This record gives sequence, structure tokens and C-alpha cells, in this order.
Amino acid sequence: MIRYIARRIMNMIPLLVGVSLVSFLVVQLSPGDFLAEIRLNPVVDAATVDRMRENLGLDKPLYIQYVKWLASILRLDFGYSFAYQVPVWWLINSRLLNTLLLSIVSLVIAWLIAIPIGIHAATRQYSWSDNTLSFVSYIGISTPTFFSGLLLLYVAFVTGWFPIGGMTSLEFDDMSTVGKVLDVARHLVIPASVLAFLTVAGLMRQMRANLLEVLRQDYVKTARAKGLAERVVINRHAVRNAINPLITIFGFELGGLLGGAAILESVVGWPGLGQLILDSVLRKDLYVVMGSLMLGTVTLVVGNLVADVLLAASDPRIRYD
Amino acid sequence: MVRRATAFLIVGALLMALASMVGAQSQFTLPGIPNPKVATFPPEVGKYGGTYVVSSISDPRTFNPIIVQDTASGAVTNVMFDGLVEQDYITGEIEPGLAESWTVSSNGRTWVFTLRQGLVWSDGTPLTVDDVVFSIQAIFTPGVDNSFRSLLTFSGQQVTWRKLDARRIQFTTPTSLCPVGLFLRFIGFPIVPKHKLADVLARSGAEFSRTWGVNVDPKTMVGSGPFLLQSFTPGQRVIMLKNQKYWQVDKRGQRLPYLVRYIIVTVPNQDAARLQFLAKQIDAYGARGREFAELKGLEKQGDFTIYDGPETFTREFIVFNQNPRGVRAPKLSWFSDVKFRIALAHAIDQNTMSRQVLAGRATTSTSDISAGNKLYYDASLQPYPYDLNRAQQLLAEAGYRKGADGFLRDAQGNVVEFTIVTNAGNQDREAYGNIVRQDFVKLGIRATFVTESFPSLVGKLTGTYNWEAIIIGFTGGIEHGTARNLWLTTGDLHMWNPNQTTPATQWEAEVDRVFEQYACEPDQAKRKALMTQFQQVVYRNLPMLYFPYQKTQPALRNTIGNVKLGLQGATGTLGTRYYKGPYRP
Repeated sequence: MIRYIARRIMNMIPLLVGVSLVSFLVVQLSPGDFLAEIRLNPVVDAATVDRMRENLGLDKPLYIQYVKWLASILRLDFGYSFAYQVPVWWLINSRLLNTLLLSIVSLVIAWLIAIPIGIHAATRQYSWSDNTLSFVSYIGISTPTFFSGLLLLYVAFVTGWFPIGGMTSLEFDDMSTVGKVLDVARHLVIPASVLAFLTVAGLMRQMRANLLEVLRQDYVKTARAKGLAERVVINRHAVRNAINPLITIFGFELGGLLGGAAILESVVGWPGLGQLILDSVLRKDLYVVMGSLMLGTVTLVVGNLVADVLLAASDPRIRYD
Repeated sequence: MVRRATAFLIVGALLMALASMVGAQSQFTLPGIPNPKVATFPPEVGKYGGTYVVSSISDPRTFNPIIVQDTASGAVTNVMFDGLVEQDYITGEIEPGLAESWTVSSNGRTWVFTLRQGLVWSDGTPLTVDDVVFSIQAIFTPGVDNSFRSLLTFSGQQVTWRKLDARRIQFTTPTSLCPVGLFLRFIGFPIVPKHKLADVLARSGAEFSRTWGVNVDPKTMVGSGPFLLQSFTPGQRVIMLKNQKYWQVDKRGQRLPYLVRYIIVTVPNQDAARLQFLAKQIDAYGARGREFAELKGLEKQGDFTIYDGPETFTREFIVFNQNPRGVRAPKLSWFSDVKFRIALAHAIDQNTMSRQVLAGRATTSTSDISAGNKLYYDASLQPYPYDLNRAQQLLAEAGYRKGADGFLRDAQGNVVEFTIVTNAGNQDREAYGNIVRQDFVKLGIRATFVTESFPSLVGKLTGTYNWEAIIIGFTGGIEHGTARNLWLTTGDLHMWNPNQTTPATQWEAEVDRVFEQYACEPDQAKRKALMTQFQQVVYRNLPMLYFPYQKTQPALRNTIGNVKLGLQGATGTLGTRYYKGPYRP
């Protein structure tokens, strides 16, 4: 197992180099550069723009810029942002925890809800509760997060039950620790429920379908024929077998922890990575784009690795060595 | 995006150019400051206390006032750092700032500024001429990318400076040139503390640019303005605290500012700002034109007032490529044909644009100068009326005829067709583009309208020149003649034919002369005459066809005092703003 994990991590290296090279070229070769905004300023002359280009290192040939970046990333130095003139890592780090908080909270909520109701729906197929859940989950799958986010913001505005966007209140700095936790929790309600709703809808459908599949298998009949309690049949035998595809999904979701909420973050003003990455792509703030892409790639690969390891742990039939 | 970059840099107006002695002795004193500035706009004496909350759509990018390029950063650094002179937000006049007075030599080249006595940074360190010298050294240090350098460089020669004594500094503009008419406009750069930044500047310019970035510990910063940075939380808010050592007083001699805290909340978009304003989480909102009527109806309920503000200085327009390096015949000959452009001006439906895009909150444009610029706007010019028949007739006179198939053809029989581009994501421009295209199509022009990313558009405009017609906008300042890079034929932003060695046309040569004279002209009335001449030349030749100038509609909570509309919809100064009634702590 350990050899397998090591091999997978080794495989990441060429992958990361490939991803970085392609994205570097895509950003650099697409028309326009970071200085577009300043170029359109009628009081700034061309000499100033040229000087800035030089200071940012954008005048060097592409391969030199890339090799320089690669050399520094090996030392875990992500470089400086053009727009902010602060280290890229500081920018990412200032928002990383916020994004993780939102993603993890909604992930946990979603899984805690989706699995039981998926099981419930499968064991009572075509009952009124199954039909209702299916209907609700279709709504969940087909509603884009920006829409449900806006809708809930409007509800918050009309009712005053929740803050309208953001992550903390103006008075946050003066609050006690408990007050701070509660304040963030209040702000989390809207974005976390939007994300959780979407995930629950998808997961619950998956769980239901898998479990229905398994319930038709002979060994379930055998178990029932042995006279096992229905609860044991479902939880011990059926669910255990039905859960494998969900673990793979879980891996993907781990990979989406950083970028998965980007659109919603922009809608509800959650100070996460989404807005930062979007702005840097639009503005062509090269090293911020590169840094966040690298981070995204690593989490995606690691997420899949975690899923594969979990699969092996949950299903004795799967062995990698 | 474009409109943000420089508004704060080049705004300004009346210039007391050759005034030999400015700034009277104040009747008040503050401990240690014998001559504090009495704020010029305090109709009411305010009450102390309160937190004023506004919103911004982007985070600041830096807190280093020298390298600031964007409005969100400027909103913080302009409050924290003052310059030698400052601008009256209502008239645009230049007034004394950290300098209480100045003199200028008879040839208009040597300026001597005297600092107020007893000025201190917020940590108590005296603010002296050494700080002024240090700031201008920083501006000219290689590796410190900033916009002040080009303003203080005249025909390639830098302004020179010399410390006379602890309170006086002398600036000299290059002697080979005419006197610099707008010198006072250019000398308002922010003064930064030498005792905090000398070490980093000594290391390198690049190091200086990275100092006081958004990752700074606010405790290590000092300022001279009314508010000081207390904390910055990325993606959430900037909190600023009152500067107890500020150097301005109200008309009773009480030290400003009145407010205790000033908070700028980062919101994801304009709609979020509006919701938060209506929910009373923020105190001011710059409404869009189409929201004016709706917000007017909510005034009572929301306890705010929405004001009918003046036009911004930002102009939006369509420009045609007249650059032989960019387009070929026959397009080149259409676009460089002034008759063709004037005919198309009659096809620009400004009323529909104003009605559909800006809900009528706009003023029809005639030239490059906004009606909101009371100093230089030439009100005598009449807009080209929207009249497609007239346009068709003018086109026919110029040799462009509509054939039986409905397509417009030039004298050689080429179908007139071109592509209009604008930057994706700007909804106003996208709407303008559709309106313009429809009218052009009615004239028989095979016009297509597409959008592309902003960097790519700018790359075409200033790099490859490979474009036909572009819809875009520029910010402006009150001193319109500073837009040299746009109007001089040698300019990089002279979009329709940039970087010319000799002017391609008579009228462009005339605009060149006007702008050169303007730069030298210390007399306001003569500058006004030059700008009038400029607007008339532009009106007759129309390198760009202008769209309506948007009005501003600032909305402000009623409990806020000392409110009066100023240039571009500003509602007051932070120093004199106060709460008339209850406020948040």
C-alpha cells in the first residue's frame, strides 16, 4: 500500500509540470497582458508602461520566465502578484481557510444528510416519501448555486434573519471567542446550505440508485433468507457494497474543496479563493493564476488518491499491490 | 476598470497660478500647530463620534500611496496621506494642504512651498521638508512604478528640488521649456514618512514597491491624513481610525475629523452593495442610473436621500481605426473620411442609449469634455441630431450609395462592412454596441458586433492595431489638457492613429498645438479658450463618436451632516462628515 501511495505521488511530478507548462502558455500566449489597464490611462505614457513591463519581468522570453518560475516553485516560493506586489502565497493563504471552512462544513452537512435519506429512499422505493425526495433532489440538481444564493440573500434581506453576505460582522474584532464563532456560523448558514443542498441532491440520487442495485443481488436475498433483521441486511450487507462509487465521488469532492464554491463565493461575498482566482485570471495576474492552479491540481490528485485508499479500506476485494 | 485608474490623480480645477502668496494666517491654533487649516467646506459645526461605513467592489491592492494605481487602494491611501496641496471637491480649485503657502518666481519656473509649522505624523514624529524630499526621491527611484513620475517629467526632463530650510522646499521646472501651467496640479503627490521607509528605499526601488502592501502590519504605518489604517481583512473590510494628530480644524477651531471610524466594506458586486445599503448596513451608495427612480421611492422608508448628481468625466464612444499600419484600403479610406464619420454621427441614437441603458440619467454629449466639467465644457456645441435620413443623404453626398440589395457601397463599389468590438462583461457597452449596430445596419452597412476580453482588446488597441471599430471609455480629469497621451499625435493612446512622427492631418496638428500651448498656459481664462478651440476642432472632425455622459446619483443616509454635491457626485469630505442623530458606535 505504501509503495502504491509513493508511486502515485511520484506520478504527480510529471503531471504538475505538464499542467503548469500548459497553463503558463495559455495565460501568456492569449492576447493581452496584465498592463492592459494602465495602458488605457490617458495620462500614463508608453515609457512608463515599458518600464513596468521590464520590472515585472514580462519583457523576457517566455522560456526564461517559465524556468525562473519553475525554479522558485521548487523552493515553494510562489512569486509575487503583479497587482498586489505581495507574495502570492500570502494572498492565497489569506483566503484559503475561509474557502476550506465553507467547503468542509457544507461537505459534512451534505454527507450526513444525503446518505441516510438515500438509504431511506431506496428501501421505500416509489413510496410518497421517495417520490417527494426525488422531486426535491431534481430541483436541487437543476438549480445553479448563483441563483439559489441570490434567492436566499433576498430572503435574508426581507426577513432580517441572516446577514446579507460576507463572513463576519463589522464588530467582529471586538467580539468574544464564542461570539466570533457564532457570528461566523450565522454568516455560514446561507452559503453552506446552498452548497449542501446541491451536493445532497446529487449524492442522494447516487446512493439510492446504488442501493437499489445491490438490494436486487442474490446475497441480499440470502441474508434475508437466513432470517437476519432487515436493519442488519441493509446496513451491514447492502450499504457496505453500495457505497463504493460514492467514495470515488468523495475523492472528487476533496479535489473541489478549493475551487468548487467559486461562483457562490462571488455571489454571497464569501471572502474565499474564488473571487481572488477569478480576478487574477481576468486581469492576467500571472503568478497568482499559476499558484492557484498548482494548488488546485495538487488537491485534485490528492483527493483521488485518498478516495482510492479509502476504497481499498472499505472493500477487501480491491488491492493495489 | 479604466475609469478607476486615474480619476483621483488628475482631478482638479482653477489654478491660482502666478499668485505670489497664498494661504492666510488662521485664527485658530492647535497644540503645537500655530496655523492649522480651517476646512473650506464646513457649513455646519459637527458632533464628534460615530462610524461611517461605505462599500467598495474590490479590495485595495496596496497601502503604499506612491505606487497606487487603482481607486480601491486610493480610497484608503488618499485618506491616510496628505500632499502639499489639495483639491476642493466642489470647485476643483487647488488649496493649501500640508503646505500653508507658496510663491512662484516671475518666470513661472521656480516654486517655493512652506510647510505648516508643527506638523506631525500620527506617531508624533515631526513631518518636515525631509519627508517631502524623500517622497519625491521615491517617485523618481528606478523600480518604483508610479503615475506621479510622468506628471513631474516635462518633455523628458524631471522637475528638480532643493531643501531651503526645515519648512521650505523649492521646485524648479526645466528651464528649456515654457512655464508649466498646471504645476500646482502635479505637486499634490502624497508625502510619505522618511523615518519609516528610508531603509527600504535605500535597499531598492522594487523593495520599496513591495513595502506597505496589503500584508502590512498596520501598527508599523504612520499617516498624516484624517484617518489611519487599523486593520484590513482580505475580501471583507478595511477599518480606519481617527487620526488624533490631524492638522485641520472646523470653523470653531475644533480638530477634525468628527468621525471615530471609517470602514470600507468589500462587496462582491453592485447589487450586494445596494442590498446592504437598503438594509442599513452601509451608509452611502453610488446608485446606477436605472435605480434612481426606484430608490427615490424608497427614500422615506430607508431614511436616506438620493441626489441628482452631475455627470461624471468618463466618456464612452466608438472609434474607427485610421491607422495605415492597422487597416487597409478600402476600409482605411472610409474611416479616414471625415464626411463618412460625420454621417455616422447622425446615426448614433444618444436618446435611445440614454433611455434604454441609463434610464434617462445622462446628458447628450458633443465632445471629449463632459458637461459635468463646468470649467471647460463648451455648452455652445449642439449634438449631431439622430436622423438616419440625414445620415444616408450625407453618405450619398460623400459617394456612399445604398444599392438595390440594400447594402451600402463606396464609390469603388465595395460593400461597407466592419466589425465593432468591445470588452466582454461591460453591460453598458454591450447595449450601446447593439444599438449602434442596428442603426448602422439600417444605413446598409454590414456591421457586426462582438465582444472580447479586456486585455485582448487593449492589446489590439495599443499593440497590434488590428481592429476596425472599438467601443470603449476613458476616465477624465478636470484639467482635460492632461490627456496628452490620447490627443497628441505622438501619443500611444491616440487610438485611431497612434505614435505618428508627423501629424497625418491638419486638424490633428492643430490639436497638437492646442495641447502644447495649454501645458504652458498659466492663465485659467486662456486655458479655457484653448479647450474651447479643442472641442470645436474635435466636433468638426470626430475621430470618436461620443455616447451620452452618465449622471451620478449618490445616495446617503439622512443622519449624515455636512453634505453638499461636488464634482462627479462627491457628497462631502471625510474630515467634516458627522452624524446628526444616533450613530453606530
